[in-house]
Amino acid sequence: MTGSATALASLRGLRKSYPGVQAIRHVDLDLRAGEITGLVGKNGAGKSTLIKVLAGLVRPDAGTIHIDGRQAHLGSPADAARHGLAFVHQELALVPDLSVAENVLLGLGFPARGRTLVHWPETYRDAANVLARLGVAVDPRRPTRSLSLAEQRLVMLARGLAARARLVVLDEPTASLSNAEIGHLFRVVRALRDDGVGTVFVSHRLDEILDLTERVVVMRDGTVVGDVATAALDRQRLIAAISGPAAKAPPARRPSRPAPAGEDILQVRNVSRSPVLTDVSLSIRAGEVVGLAGLAGAGRTELARVIFGVDRPSAGTVSVRGRAVRPGRLRSALRRGIVLLPEDRRHQGNILDFGVRSNVTLATLRNHRRTPRLALPSRRSERVAAQHMVERLHIATASVEQPVRSLSGGNQQKVVLAKWLQHGAEIFLFDEPTHGVDVDGKQEIYELMRELAAEGKAVMFISSEFPELIEVCDRILVLRNGRIVAELDGDTTEATLLKHCFATDPTPST
Amino acid sequence: MDEAVTAQHAQPPPAGGPAIPDGDDAVARRTARRRTSLGHILGRWGLVVAVGLALLAFGLASPDTFLTADNMRSVLLQSSAPMILAVGLTILLVLGDFDLSIGSMLGLGGASAVALMALHHVPWQLALAAGLGLAVIVGLLNGVIVAYFGASSFVTTLAMGTVLVGVEFAFTDQKTIYEGVADTYLTLGQSAPFWGINVQVWIAAGVAILVWLLLEHTEIGRFFHAIGGNPDAAYFSGIAVRRWRVLGFVLVAVAAAVAGILVTAQAGSSAPQAGITYLLPAYAAAFLGSTSLRPGQFNVPGTVIATVFLQIIQTGLQMLQLSTAYINVVQGAILIVAMLLSRLGQDRA
Repeated sequence: MTGSATALASLRGLRKSYPGVQAIRHVDLDLRAGEITGLVGKNGAGKSTLIKVLAGLVRPDAGTIHIDGRQAHLGSPADAARHGLAFVHQELALVPDLSVAENVLLGLGFPARGRTLVHWPETYRDAANVLARLGVAVDPRRPTRSLSLAEQRLVMLARGLAARARLVVLDEPTASLSNAEIGHLFRVVRALRDDGVGTVFVSHRLDEILDLTERVVVMRDGTVVGDVATAALDRQRLIAAISGPAAKAPPARRPSRPAPAGEDILQVRNVSRSPVLTDVSLSIRAGEVVGLAGLAGAGRTELARVIFGVDRPSAGTVSVRGRAVRPGRLRSALRRGIVLLPEDRRHQGNILDFGVRSNVTLATLRNHRRTPRLALPSRRSERVAAQHMVERLHIATASVEQPVRSLSGGNQQKVVLAKWLQHGAEIFLFDEPTHGVDVDGKQEIYELMRELAAEGKAVMFISSEFPELIEVCDRILVLRNGRIVAELDGDTTEATLLKHCFATDPTPST
Repeated sequence: MDEAVTAQHAQPPPAGGPAIPDGDDAVARRTARRRTSLGHILGRWGLVVAVGLALLAFGLASPDTFLTADNMRSVLLQSSAPMILAVGLTILLVLGDFDLSIGSMLGLGGASAVALMALHHVPWQLALAAGLGLAVIVGLLNGVIVAYFGASSFVTTLAMGTVLVGVEFAFTDQKTIYEGVADTYLTLGQSAPFWGINVQVWIAAGVAILVWLLLEHTEIGRFFHAIGGNPDAAYFSGIAVRRWRVLGFVLVAVAAAVAGILVTAQAGSSAPQAGITYLLPAYAAAFLGSTSLRPGQFNVPGTVIATVFLQIIQTGLQMLQLSTAYINVVQGAILIVAMLLSRLGQDRA
């Protein structure tokens, strides 16, 4: 441990258990002013519970928290704010219909005119000042709803700053941000550090941890198993620390394969959808994993939606084995065997209150009829199918009736995949399938994609993380401003991908 | 909350064994399974207990009149039309939609059938079919406007309610009609085929069983639950979301018309705007029912028991010969207490 900075917050002997689960076994941790601390660990390692304890959302069973050397009682989010703790949660805690200024100052009280009226000019000025400190060029009068995801995260950060937060906790703040936006966020965090603010940075993206932090705290099974200066770490060692002794090392780069000789299954011809897609053509062969790289906003998700028939292209065709998909008709795409595993898994992937069984059979309920003529599903038949998928995909669930809401991100993703495997799909579009999934879960998803290809399916893999594209894909297409600007083979490098992504408007990444 | 927030405080699964599910909800559920405390039992069976308590209390208060077979038959009879409406409404609530025109539809269904028979000498079969046919049209209109054109169901169905009252007036000229109703039509509301129990009760029971089968044991029911649970995910799974939502609006409108026909058949007459008073009790029954049996979900058995519960209170209070003012206050208060009691069982810190 470095001892130079003073401890802003000291956690000692923290313990928290839920019935049947010891979420935090024993945590001692010092968080210092002017230091960026990375917090990493698999899903279930206890990171979120720890953050919730700090945020006043969860009361620990034992242990103490000292802030500035004085014992602090964090019984509610208001307590946490009073002690100078600010949180940028993944899920945005902003009121979308209020202005940016109102959101920044929410909970602090607005500058008053007289006794009761809000002094609006001063409100906007105050908010603008805070935003300027973060280098956010957003009109504080704008409705928050109209901001990009990245800007909204910065507004949350601004709220913390306005409250004079001295310790900021960022929980997966870079999810679905573009590289340029991430670069900006990092600059802001570093500037805060220079002003003496302590930062806790939670991320599954290890490159970001290595890039940004000065110190990394690794949690596993509810305890801190590592607390190291970042300078002494590299990616391999970090993965090993997170996975623990039992986990196997990630496999070395796949042996280079000959290009699959399968026929073209999916053909996309001259697809346009103004203003997001312009004249996109591509094809995917049986047995092939094709990556789709690009910055946020380059049109990757939009392309997947057009292929899946969610959105209607203004021009161009999508066809499967030469048979056209009716444009903008999802059910037509499904009939042709195209399926999408959407980026927004929670809202578009599963019915969270349904059990694993009902989600797995949702698209194929017809196959489980008691008798062919009557639309009465047989739960027994469904259970058999779901159980089969649970075993095949190694879905970690207590039973097939377990509500999907209670599964981890990786397992929820597998349930979506199980639904489509039941459907007998031929073309799988994976849109950011590893978002919010821990290291082991990611590896499993990569392997599943490769297995699908090995079975002769066509796989499209959309990702913002170049290393995983390079690890998994046979070919990688780069989408920039709605056009395909490059086609690279699977042995390409991150640098090449980056070059193509940024080619027209280069922006330094960090 | 994102899954990384909810899904953290579990340990990795023991080697080879099933994973321990993580997340607050799972924790709550595990707690629920383990605990068979009074609160938990009340949460699931609270409404049934409430029915028992209400029977007991009113039985003691009016010992000679309340707990008699005749009175119980009367309670069931008076629950019938509201039950058909509330059960129909349950379908739509499962879908995550709602409809404020069902009260007016109930009025129009009955009034149109009666008016056609009495004023236009239409045979009762045709009059009945016309009432039901109107419901199908109204349901299609509501459903298409809401599901296909994306209009707010609140405003659409509120406006539709006004339209339907107007249509009803066009049929009846705002008059109470009590002559010229076919005898066969009257038997729909007044005969008692088995054990002295009115035919309406049997019809209501039949409707409840059919809707229960539909929601819990058919593909359509699964799709309805999926759409109500997450319309986007249902759509992305290839479910024809808009089509099923339209069907939901049609089914609730038809249920309303059936209830309206029974109401006029029992009364042997049709009174202007009779349907409006049925609207809020139907919602009260469906929501009260959703706190019980399958807490947190709209379910047919819950709706059925809740409808009967509301009628027991109504009848019991009337027998005490309290003033209408008291009856209103006590009725409302009992409803609130019943809601609170059922909250007790739902595990929350």
